[in-house]
Amino acid sequence: MKLFECQAKEVFAAAGIPVPDSRQARTAEEASAAAAEIGFPCVLKSQLLQGGRGKAGLIKVVQTEEEAAAAAAGLFSRPEGVRILLVEKAVEIEKELYLSITIDPVESRGMIIACAEGGVEIETLAKEKPQALIREKFDLSRGLEAFRARSVVYDMGLTGDTAKQTVKILSALYQVFSRYDAELAEINPLFITKDGNVVAGDAKLSIDDNASFRQKEYQLTREYFSSDAEYEAALDGIPYLQFHGDIGLMCAGAGLTTTVYDLINYEGGTVANYLEFGGPNYRRAVRAMELCLKNPSKVILVVTFGTIARADVMAEGIVEAIGKLHPDRPIVTCIRGTNEDRAVEILEAAGLKPIFDTEEAVREAVSIAKGGAA
Amino acid sequence: MSIFIDTSTRVLIQGITGKEGSYWTKHMQEMGTKIVAGVTPGKEGQTVEDIPVYHSVKRAAAAHSVDASMLFVPPRFTRDAVFEALDAGIKKIVTVADGIPVHDAVEIRRAALMEKAIVVGGNTSGVISPGKAMMGFFPYWIERVYNPGRIGIMTRSGSLTNEVTSMVVAAGFGVSTLIGVGGDPVPGVRFAEMLPFYQADPETDAVVIIGELGGTMEEEVAAAIADGSFTKPLVAFLGGRTAPEGKKMGHAGAIVSGGTGSVKDKIAALEKAGARVAERPRLVGSLLREVFPATV
Repeated sequence: MKLFECQAKEVFAAAGIPVPDSRQARTAEEASAAAAEIGFPCVLKSQLLQGGRGKAGLIKVVQTEEEAAAAAAGLFSRPEGVRILLVEKAVEIEKELYLSITIDPVESRGMIIACAEGGVEIETLAKEKPQALIREKFDLSRGLEAFRARSVVYDMGLTGDTAKQTVKILSALYQVFSRYDAELAEINPLFITKDGNVVAGDAKLSIDDNASFRQKEYQLTREYFSSDAEYEAALDGIPYLQFHGDIGLMCAGAGLTTTVYDLINYEGGTVANYLEFGGPNYRRAVRAMELCLKNPSKVILVVTFGTIARADVMAEGIVEAIGKLHPDRPIVTCIRGTNEDRAVEILEAAGLKPIFDTEEAVREAVSIAKGGAA
Repeated sequence: MSIFIDTSTRVLIQGITGKEGSYWTKHMQEMGTKIVAGVTPGKEGQTVEDIPVYHSVKRAAAAHSVDASMLFVPPRFTRDAVFEALDAGIKKIVTVADGIPVHDAVEIRRAALMEKAIVVGGNTSGVISPGKAMMGFFPYWIERVYNPGRIGIMTRSGSLTNEVTSMVVAAGFGVSTLIGVGGDPVPGVRFAEMLPFYQADPETDAVVIIGELGGTMEEEVAAAIADGSFTKPLVAFLGGRTAPEGKKMGHAGAIVSGGTGSVKDKIAALEKAGARVAERPRLVGSLLREVFPATV
């Protein structure tokens, strides 16, 4: 899971990374009070997981309490659904740097990415000025050695006390990366202030979902999601994505679901939602269909080709779901895999017309969505 | 001789007494896999399908010659189980666990690279040479998918593999060895690292790779073709051509490496190198048929 900036900054600060003085606010009144407490100028930062918040106008600099209240009211009424503002002391910036730790899957090592130019999209920088990026790899079993942290910082061209502060910050960032099973721990920008301090301007921390058994500090809440269905699916461990088209996908396996999504687009159809009920969820067809029905789709398309996720069990699940939920729209099924003959019998006995070919099933669903006969 | 495993490969099962372990041990045997021993800490002296069980890999390997280890171990214990197998000198390891923490996966792959071992997985169905042997769980009894033949297959996916392979078989071909490298962001072994085995395998005429958005594994395959180290025909199918940017579609492996790995870039790299890329699963069979018009 990706943490909000305010959460990531709490983690970073606890590890010893300097961050600007800040408060969290959930109403415009709270925001203006927090601003008055911190002092002006200060910055109101919308706590959303999307990147490019500055460009999107989701971050505002304010000079007075009145300005803070007005700007906060504006941000809280944005269509993106801002629920929390981070009210942060503005710092006087001398220079912006970039610093992150992630994983290199090829060499299978931790990777520091550092750059003396921060504040921009690192992807853009990597394309336009690749030589400006320092990529330093280290073994996770050894951890980030002190010499390597120093080496990176000196290669960034930093000297004196600024270099010392940055070495400390990089070492602390590694502690966070390791302690939180991070996929990414990033500071962009890392400010050098006019008075010579090094401070984290932003904070990103993405925690590996597979490590949730040993990372219990942050739990998913509704605030991380843009729709109820996405939130409920996440709580149930069912991969789900919200779109706005006509066909609800209820498929098994990430690769197959993605492929069905492509095939629908090729055939001129549109997807209402992406949902996977394969793997550990293959006995949960009722719950999966319930989530699909929350969407105003015109048809639900079921495509599976499972091994352990047995076809007959999935077919029974679909029939049970239809019996319990009485879906108000047609269901197209293409269920294959272990015990597929039995699956066909089950579906036919329930009055469904099982299709055995993925492309044919996709065409059928697209045709229904476009107003063809069910 | 097939790749990675054949009928003579002596396989150890770590986690043999578990529900999955014992169920698939039976099927692996039934298909022809030579299983010599099992490991479950605390259960030495028991047997599963007449296979003796030991407390540790070390004790099993002392009593039997072992070439490969198959892990039916939960994700949180997988790192330790892989280290245990590597410590006993085993060079071929398959782990099917779905949900290995990525930091653990990084350490697993690094250890394998250091030991010059191959770890296939996690988040995979494993490895199968239809009609000979398998390490993992494949519905080998579905003949329209797992038909023996001369096409090598490598995949990041499970259900999609069944879909694509059924199209390969429908076009009149069969499978030499199928290796599921798995859908995790840091798989133990990568597509390009298995290509030399397919290149050298006299039983493989061509290779199909089943990839998806994210990561750089398909680009690495393109590089191996471009530099001349892999010269057999190669057909790719990639899921996620129309995936919208910024959405977490596909496996975790499709997510982490943000910024790179669009399917468009992968297709461009593969086609430039001389591979054929199928737009739909069905076309994988058709493209193979274009390469081998005479094969029946």
